[in-house]
Amino acid sequence: MLAKRKMKSKELAEIIGITTANMSILKSGKAKAIRFSTLEAICKALDCQPSDILEYVKG
Amino acid sequence: MLSLNNNFNIMIMKENTNILTIITWVILLSLASILLDDIRQFDFNQFKEFQNWAESADKNESWFTSKNAIKWSYYVISAALFFFRGYLIYGFSYFLSILKEIEKGNYFSNNNIRSFKKIGNIFIWYTINVFVLRFLLASTRKSTFNFFNELKEEFTFLIPAGLAFYILAEIFKQAKKTKEENDLTI
Repeated sequence: MLAKRKMKSKELAEIIGITTANMSILKSGKAKAIRFSTLEAICKALDCQPSDILEYVKG
Repeated sequence: MLSLNNNFNIMIMKENTNILTIITWVILLSLASILLDDIRQFDFNQFKEFQNWAESADKNESWFTSKNAIKWSYYVISAALFFFRGYLIYGFSYFLSILKEIEKGNYFSNNNIRSFKKIGNIFIWYTINVFVLRFLLASTRKSTFNFFNELKEEFTFLIPAGLAFYILAEIFKQAKKTKEENDLTI
C-alpha cells in the first residue's frame, strides 16, 4: 500500500504521529495489537480501508 | 507539559531510590558489623581443644554420647548459625540490585523478578535452617525444645516475608508480560 501511494514509511509515521521505531515494529509484524485510532490514522493517510492493509494468514 | 511532568516524576523517583539505597547500605553494614563482632566474641580458639580429641576421649564411652562430641557439635552448630546470618545479609544485598534496576527505570525487568525470588528463597531457607539448628542446639544442651515456643520467635516472621516476595515475583512476572504487550500496542 505504501508503494502504491509512493510514500516512505518515515513519512507515513510522521503523518499518523507515531515514532519510526513503532512503525518498524508494525511493519515487521512484531506488534501485538493496534489501536483503532492508529488504524484510523493509517487509513486516512493512505486513503484506504482496513482490509487493504490487514490480512489474515492461517497459522 | 506531559514530558515535563514525566521528567519531574523520574527525578523524584531517583531521589527516593537514592534514599532507599543509603538506608539499605546502612542496614547491611550494621548487620555485617554486628555479625563480625559476634563472631569475634565467640572465640573460635575453643576448637583447639578438640585437636587432641582422640587422646582425651574416654574409650569406654560411645562416640555419639561422648562429652567431646556434644561439645564439638555445639560449636559446629554455633558456627553454622553464624554462616546463616551471613547468608541472610547476602539476601538483603539483593535489595540493592532491585533499587539499581529501579533507578535505571527498569521496573519490571527479569533481574528484578529473579532478585525477588532469590530474596524469598533466602528468607525461607534461613528460617528453616535456623529452626533445625536451634533444635539441634537444644538437644546438645539437653534442654527441651518446645516447637510452638520456637515458632513464636521473631525469625519465623521471615517465612511469610519470604512468601510475600515470592508473590511479588509472580506479580512482577505478570506485570512484565502486560508491559511488553502494552509496549507492542501501536
